[in-house]
Amino acid sequence: METYDAVGENNFNPSSYHGNHTKQHATWSPYDNNGGTVMAVAGEDYVICAADTRMSTGYSIMTRQYTKVDEMSPKTLMASAGFMADAATLKKLLKGRCDQYQFANNKPIGCVAFAQMLSNTLYMRRFFPYYAFNIVAGLDAEGKGAVFTYDAVGSYERTNYSCQGSGQQLIMPVLDNQLKTVSPLVLPAVSSATPLSEEEAIDLIKDCFATAGERDIYTGDAVELFVMNKDGIRKETMPLKTD
Amino acid sequence: MIPSRTSHSSSIGPGVVPRGADPAYDEEVKREYDLRKNIPHLGKGSKGRPFSIDPNVGVMTRTQTPYVTGTSVLAVKYKDGVLMACDTLACYGSTKRYKSIQRMKLVGKYTVVGFTGELSDFDYISTLLDELEMTDFCQDDECPRTPKEIYNYLVRVMYNRRNKFDPLWNSLVISGWDYVEKKPFLGCVGMIGQHYVDDHVATGFGNHLARPLFRESWKEEMTEQEAEKLLKSALLSCVMRDKQMMNKFQLSKITADGPGEISEPFAIDTRWGYENYVNPTKYAPGAW
Amino acid sequence: MSGIGTGYDLSTTTYSPDGKVFQVEYACKAVENGGLAIGCKCKDGVVVAVEKLVQSKMLVPGTNKRIHAVSKHAGMAGTGLVPDVRTVVDRAREEAANYLSFYGDAIPANVLADRMAHYYHLFTLYWSVRPFGASVILATKDSNGYHMYVLEPSGECHKMNGCAIGKNKAAAKTEIEKLKFGEVLAKDCVKELARVIYKIHDEKDKDFECELGWICEDSKGEFRRVPKEVADEAIALAKAALEEDDDMDDA
Repeated sequence: METYDAVGENNFNPSSYHGNHTKQHATWSPYDNNGGTVMAVAGEDYVICAADTRMSTGYSIMTRQYTKVDEMSPKTLMASAGFMADAATLKKLLKGRCDQYQFANNKPIGCVAFAQMLSNTLYMRRFFPYYAFNIVAGLDAEGKGAVFTYDAVGSYERTNYSCQGSGQQLIMPVLDNQLKTVSPLVLPAVSSATPLSEEEAIDLIKDCFATAGERDIYTGDAVELFVMNKDGIRKETMPLKTD
Repeated sequence: MIPSRTSHSSSIGPGVVPRGADPAYDEEVKREYDLRKNIPHLGKGSKGRPFSIDPNVGVMTRTQTPYVTGTSVLAVKYKDGVLMACDTLACYGSTKRYKSIQRMKLVGKYTVVGFTGELSDFDYISTLLDELEMTDFCQDDECPRTPKEIYNYLVRVMYNRRNKFDPLWNSLVISGWDYVEKKPFLGCVGMIGQHYVDDHVATGFGNHLARPLFRESWKEEMTEQEAEKLLKSALLSCVMRDKQMMNKFQLSKITADGPGEISEPFAIDTRWGYENYVNPTKYAPGAW
Repeated sequence: MSGIGTGYDLSTTTYSPDGKVFQVEYACKAVENGGLAIGCKCKDGVVVAVEKLVQSKMLVPGTNKRIHAVSKHAGMAGTGLVPDVRTVVDRAREEAANYLSFYGDAIPANVLADRMAHYYHLFTLYWSVRPFGASVILATKDSNGYHMYVLEPSGECHKMNGCAIGKNKAAAKTEIEKLKFGEVLAKDCVKELARVIYKIHDEKDKDFECELGWICEDSKGEFRRVPKEVADEAIALAKAALEEDDDMDDA
């Protein structure tokens, strides 16, 4: 029995057993899941986008210092989990588009426009998707926090908080429990922004990552929080367990 | 190409005709298969059926499996540069096919690229890098491409080939001296374009065997001697446990002082002097 | 507007009655407006030198080069219309890279010279294109040793031991003819060529820079700009020699 796996990663596909032939081949998939959890919380006048820094493949960790959150424009943060090569390519492409937007309009792209652009870009690859799970966070034209959450092929919605990636199942219920507010459909309209203050939200996010890191093997090493408010963007880092 | 026939028999149900249901059709399929039995993923016993968009082209094959392969590459950063090491073996399956292959390549003055995986694919990558180096030479402006630029270039090459479903079957380790930022650079690119930079890197089996050792012992501001010792202890672990690895290694060093060096092959000290190894039949009465 | 040839100079597609292609001849005139470029075959290599006329005092020294590497083992020194030189150099780089990728070996000197001559020639055949207003000296190394070729706007290509193109080439030729081609060492030849450049330079012209390039044993068989120390020494000697000459003239 021979196996060979160029990348030392989980490209091995057990379905390549053929009948009773025991010869195995390294097989190939254009996708890999590199794990990681990303989340964002929007407040009345701030937004926080956070992600862990672990990059794994199968049961091995490739690096403990991979930043998943990027500043796409002064008002837009984007975080991606999933297949890192797709995510990196996607971000590179969008970064270029943001620059072009700046040249054409003489102002940086806003997070709402960016959110639509990301959706379109994802959908263009509907039949060979970017395997990336994205969250866009930013301050909208009124200075309110905004979070946009996506699937891999471009469906998206504006929310006040979201979580994607390997720790999604662990974190999302906590966010629902802590942050769910009035439906945007009720009349008269009530602000549906997260009621927490910026400090409280930071604490909540740190707790979420510490908890997810406890049970999800793909989440850990460190969490990076990008906090955006009227003063700009600042970054906080908190170590997580490395096991 | 044989059209897939759809069954309308209630006993078989809808879908493609399974083998055995229609002997005439099976015969037809077999004839097609025999024409292609030397193509590995379509050969005897495989489940694959001939498929092509253009019937005149026949079956299009791309690299489905690697053939001649190199195993792990290990590399660590240290205070004034980067050390990289790998063995000199290229295997054909489990055969030690080429025992003196240099698996690292110097690109310009400040970058070394090492590979795991398919030898021929790396040869191709080498020609790309040579062309890149030639443009730097002709530019003659004292600012050749930095290791980081070469790394990003290789990331794009690998990712674009995976997009064509025609991957280059390699993991690449890129080490070098970034003469702009005045610090060492170390990064890794995988077969489908996944990439990262880190203080220490290992591809293939090395990611399981050497990386834990690096994580335990690597520290910032290591001296060259300490880094070399760490690397050699990791090589020892790899050569003892990885059957595709051979005890003939090369070490590359790259520092601010310019041209990276790739050492002459060397062996590391392994001890096989246990009594039972020297004289395996000593305690086996009746054996010869 | 009278005399033989009048009206035959608008296109390369028509000869004049006495068999000339005027556009090509005009292209040669354009070359003579560029600085002087000279080259010499040595015992252990080839050295080239260019008198780069500096149009403005504001130009950053050492930029706007006239000597270019084509690949590791070949380089060009050009004169005439600078953009034309660059186009020719680009093409030579392409040819060299192409040959290398196809045959896996460095392009031999005669093949490169030949292909470049063809390239030049193509631009003398069609109404729709303009012949290059540039000449280049090609210095190369291959398995047969070191070689020097001169390429001209007409597509002519000559293998030379010594050569001069561009402004005052006639005067420069007389000087270069005195050199011992094939015997002099490259490191000595650098001094000779620098001296010729300084001697031939016409003082009416504005400022100039002396650019030096070589491919020889000292450069490990690679085409390189002459190292700064060596070039500076050669230029210092050339200036000294020039002053000596002036003193003698005064006496």
